[in-house]
Amino acid sequence: MAPPPIVQQKSSSPSQPSGYVFFLPSLSVLLLNRKPLRFLIPSYCLSRKSEVSDLKLQLRQLAGSRAPGADDSKRDLFKRVISYMTVGIDVSAAFSEMVMCSATSDIVLKKMCYLYVGNYARCHPDLALLTINFLQKDCRDVDPMIRGLALRSLCSLRVPNLVEYLVSPLSSGLEDGSPYVRMVAVLGVLKLYHISATTCFDSDFPASLKNLMLTDSDAQVVANCLFVLQEIWNLEANKSEEANRERETLLSKQTIYYLLNRIKEFNEWAQCLILELISKYIPSDSNDIFDIMNLLEDRLQHANGAVVLATIKVFLHLTMSMTDVHQQVYERLKAPLLTLVGSGSSEQSYAVLSHLHLLVMRAPMLFSSDYKHFYCQFSDPSYIKKLKLEMLTAIANESNTYEIVTELCEYAGNVDVPIARESIRAVGKIALQQYDVNAIVDRLLQFLEMEKDYVTAETLVLVKDLLRKYPQWSHDCIAVVGNISSKNVQEPKAKAALIWMLGEYSKDMPDAPYILENLIENWDDENAAEVRLHLLTAAMKCFLKRPPETQKALGAALAAGVADSHQDVHDRALLYYRLLQYDVSVAERVVNPPKQAVSVFADLQSSEVKDRIFDEFNTLSVVYQKPSYMFTDKEHRGPFEFSEEIGNLSLDQESMDNAPRFDESDKDLLLSTSEREENGGPSINGAATPGYSAPHDYNSSLVPLSSQTQSEPAVTSRTSFAIDDLLGLSMLAAPAPPSLKLNSKAALDPGTFQRKWGQLGVSISQEIPISPQGVGSLTTPQALIRHMQANSIHCIASGGQSPNFKFFLFAQKDDGSASFFLVECIVNTSSAKAQVKVKADDASASEAFFALFQSALSKFGM
Amino acid sequence: MPVAASAIYFLNLRGDVLINRLYRDDVGGNMVDAFRIHIMQTKELGTCPVRQIGGCSFLYMRISNVYIVIVVSGNANVACAFKFVVEAVALFKSYFGGAFDEDAIRNNFVLIYELLDEIMDFGYPQNLSPEILKLYITQEGVRSPFSSKPSDKPVPNATLQVTGAVGWRREGLMYKKNEVFLDIVESVNLLMSSKGSVLRCDVTGKILMKCFLSGMPDLKLGLNDKIGLEKESQIKSRPIKSGKTIELDDVTFHQCVNLTRFNSEKTVSFVPPDGEFELMKYRITEGVNLPFRVLPTIKELGRTRMEVNVKVKSVFGAKMFALGVVVKVPVPKQTAKTSFQVTSGRAKYNASIDCLVWKLCIYTRIRKFPGQTESTMSAEVELISTMVEKKSWTRPPIQMEFQVPMFTASGLRVRFLKVWEKSGYNTVEWVRYITKAGSYEIRC
Repeated sequence: MAPPPIVQQKSSSPSQPSGYVFFLPSLSVLLLNRKPLRFLIPSYCLSRKSEVSDLKLQLRQLAGSRAPGADDSKRDLFKRVISYMTVGIDVSAAFSEMVMCSATSDIVLKKMCYLYVGNYARCHPDLALLTINFLQKDCRDVDPMIRGLALRSLCSLRVPNLVEYLVSPLSSGLEDGSPYVRMVAVLGVLKLYHISATTCFDSDFPASLKNLMLTDSDAQVVANCLFVLQEIWNLEANKSEEANRERETLLSKQTIYYLLNRIKEFNEWAQCLILELISKYIPSDSNDIFDIMNLLEDRLQHANGAVVLATIKVFLHLTMSMTDVHQQVYERLKAPLLTLVGSGSSEQSYAVLSHLHLLVMRAPMLFSSDYKHFYCQFSDPSYIKKLKLEMLTAIANESNTYEIVTELCEYAGNVDVPIARESIRAVGKIALQQYDVNAIVDRLLQFLEMEKDYVTAETLVLVKDLLRKYPQWSHDCIAVVGNISSKNVQEPKAKAALIWMLGEYSKDMPDAPYILENLIENWDDENAAEVRLHLLTAAMKCFLKRPPETQKALGAALAAGVADSHQDVHDRALLYYRLLQYDVSVAERVVNPPKQAVSVFADLQSSEVKDRIFDEFNTLSVVYQKPSYMFTDKEHRGPFEFSEEIGNLSLDQESMDNAPRFDESDKDLLLSTSEREENGGPSINGAATPGYSAPHDYNSSLVPLSSQTQSEPAVTSRTSFAIDDLLGLSMLAAPAPPSLKLNSKAALDPGTFQRKWGQLGVSISQEIPISPQGVGSLTTPQALIRHMQANSIHCIASGGQSPNFKFFLFAQKDDGSASFFLVECIVNTSSAKAQVKVKADDASASEAFFALFQSALSKFGM
Repeated sequence: MPVAASAIYFLNLRGDVLINRLYRDDVGGNMVDAFRIHIMQTKELGTCPVRQIGGCSFLYMRISNVYIVIVVSGNANVACAFKFVVEAVALFKSYFGGAFDEDAIRNNFVLIYELLDEIMDFGYPQNLSPEILKLYITQEGVRSPFSSKPSDKPVPNATLQVTGAVGWRREGLMYKKNEVFLDIVESVNLLMSSKGSVLRCDVTGKILMKCFLSGMPDLKLGLNDKIGLEKESQIKSRPIKSGKTIELDDVTFHQCVNLTRFNSEKTVSFVPPDGEFELMKYRITEGVNLPFRVLPTIKELGRTRMEVNVKVKSVFGAKMFALGVVVKVPVPKQTAKTSFQVTSGRAKYNASIDCLVWKLCIYTRIRKFPGQTESTMSAEVELISTMVEKKSWTRPPIQMEFQVPMFTASGLRVRFLKVWEKSGYNTVEWVRYITKAGSYEIRC
């Protein structure tokens, strides 16, 4: 808007500079008012525009010149063009000039030109046509270097309608005398495949690659053939039977042995690939296995860590079926792995440590004597410390517990608070593994004396878990815990743990009723429902043991509980109230039955998942500690792509119903170990008393549950899943709902919105995933707001910064009824999820609206 | 699909793209924005070098003031990706002559583009060996002799060797004086408890080699390692007299070393690359000689005063000496005033790292710290009393830096280095030893 008037002023009255001056401030005001960045980039480009045209001019002048210094000045110009390109300035305007200048003998100039062409060809396919000619000519150059470069650039143009020009240079490239050209041509086939698979197969390139792979004298050509064939057949395997067969032949004994015999000719990267292939090979007998391992053993001494890891994978996978050899392999692999951890940057050691971590978790016994290698160095980054702590925890046994726990206690005072917490948890976990508990309990109690808030908080949670497993320690623990002032404990988890102990051991703690009373007085300041739930239970327990002292506190707690806005707290308070009304002895049986000590805390990651990760050794799966299908987009996001193609509402609903459940399981796997065990408690109890629905079981199963952290949320979430399931099913069974139309010009003022939001109940609350493109586009809230507006969903308020954004949106039914839908949408871009709450005037239509909302959101960023 | 990288980015600390290379279309162009927003501008930075955003994984590394980010869409091989980055940086360094930082990238971006094209094609790593790449990619750019005057010359040697099997050495090298330099560089890692017992101690060493040899020489290296010596005495069927033997926990070699021969005969034989390279790396945990003992006593006197006493003892041979000896004693953040007494060197308080830094090797006439001597520092530290009183200050460990020439903490010695070449020339071999402090930490 601003520039035209300036130009006008300038052209109409050049003699009046005052007018010019007048406009500039107004422009700067504009700049100040808006987001400066958004405005500055175009103006920056504007100033560059003249430079680009300047460059064009100079290039044109040089194009035909054969003067001696011409190449040097061309180089300078090309360099400038490339540097503009790198910083993101569009220099595609100079395309034809660049092509004109490319007729040169200077190889550096050529390379810069190829780079330029490769960068802009895709967005300017018509211009790319200009380059075909000179690239094809260069493909026939005498110098193999130029032939190779030209062929690589030709294949990298990635313009679908130029495919026909690729076939003949590629086939002659594959038969070229120079290995350099062949090597480039082989990867060119893969590029062609990605542009147009049919052309690739029609020209029978895969077959020629296969031939080349088995006969070529040059190792890199062979390796590239393998890269390409593997990728093509893996992608095609689902589509055709033949491709599947071809993929099998890559793993045949003949091919594998051929590659094995040549392995030393390959460079380190190609060796990695070949070793990866070999790890999938199914050996015919044990001789086969030993032959391969003997041949590859020296690879464990390779300087490249990636080769060593790839070799390790081969060893581990080949010996899977031979238990004793498998163990020996572990012993053999220890030394090279530990060397790799210590060499290279911390990023590299992280990659190696993740693998070591996996092995340690599989066979902790074998590493128990190497514990000193896992001691943390002060300078280690926290991601490495965390892995080391987990390994130390896992390998603790009778012989090394003392040393390990001593070391872990050192970290408890670490400056890095998360690591300090982690190490306290590690001490607790070792205690739960039942090695030398006596000493460890003492250490834990010493932590409480350190009087650091976070140390106390972590320790309290651990002491609670310990007491659940070893009730015999209650006497020592209670003495120390009793001295902790509840004012120093702020974290909900720790507070809940403290309150649980107060309730459970109120007999042994003289002050228990009074501390509880104090806490109950501050009921309204207690934000976490978890803590309030525990307060109720603890007050009950305490009352049953010491009625006269607690009666007042319990009364206050029940009153506050019944009036609580949180559903679970309210329900529990009512339950207790009615139980007491009914019969105090029944209440005692329900709330305070004799308890069994927890014997084992559950491990949430199933062995199936662990095996899956082990299968994917030496990949990202190991680092993420989850199998690849959970994070590679294709399989995981499969249902989405499908639903978009069909665009059918009912199908949409189904896929959406599936998605959150997927995510739920993801989250479980991501839970840190300590959380796992806390969640594990209830699930074990659940398993012990099967069937939540059986009425006579209900009471007895509720008791251990209610005494534990997070039990209540776990149960509710489970039931809500069941409801989701039912909804999903009913949606499927019912005919597709009449499509809902929204008023594109809906209006609502903030005051009304707020009032409505207060009045209406939540009709749908769900978490939905966001596509990676969406995450990428969500740099500011405005992007999403504009997108949703296009779908007739309007925004009334938004805020937040990466990674958390919050939106309040609304929409109106387009049928004249003033029926509104209100949405609260909290987007977390790092987890790629949106938490959506829908409230509606007409609750019956909210399902349909939610489906609409979801499909709109899933299209965001496309 | 194992390792294909989709893109590689070089960013400066502000997040500006210095250089990017998109190898594949399966990730969007805005990936670098995602990295900036979700990693660089959050607390995530530095918490984990592998992160997933949307469907893509970002593997990143910081080297001097540059972030190098590899973006992959599939289940990639992490170790390979990081190794690739490290090797690529080594390659760039060998081209720029030492430094790799933002300025070097800006000054050489055309060259880096050229190299990125060669070392990776469509996301698959190709040839990263500097020896080979330098044959056909030079800083100034080769002007191909062919295209300027087309003729029917044979295919140039360079491209033939690009992909050859003996990739690390080219033929026809000539030197007037045939010399080999060996450097044995060890770094000692130590973790000592406050009670003075060694919790963890190991040595990681490497043998660096500089070769100026003509032709295609065959080299054989003999060390005083236990297994190698035993094997040798077996072969020669007589005991070999030698002093101390050492046990190597693990060894890795440069690709030029014949590993089959190492496994069968335990000898290190190889055809070396020309110039400088890392021949082998090893790790030793048993029988490490610590060059220094550190005996700290730290007393907290009330809330505002601390007394620090550190005694450093050199326990290597009296004829040897150490260089660059520095002791860093951490002190609390609220340190106000310090005063020192030292028997050698100079100490001062460095507020930016919250440490008392004691440099032992300056202001002495010889700037060396001889073996079998000791030196002490006693310091008084005054603290500002703060309202939020942390009950106990947890002390980070004391750290130490040093270099001891002609000393190996592991006791490793080179027994011989034999050179064979068909022309039978004489060679001069030079050997140096040096031991450095790796992470030398003493808790107090």
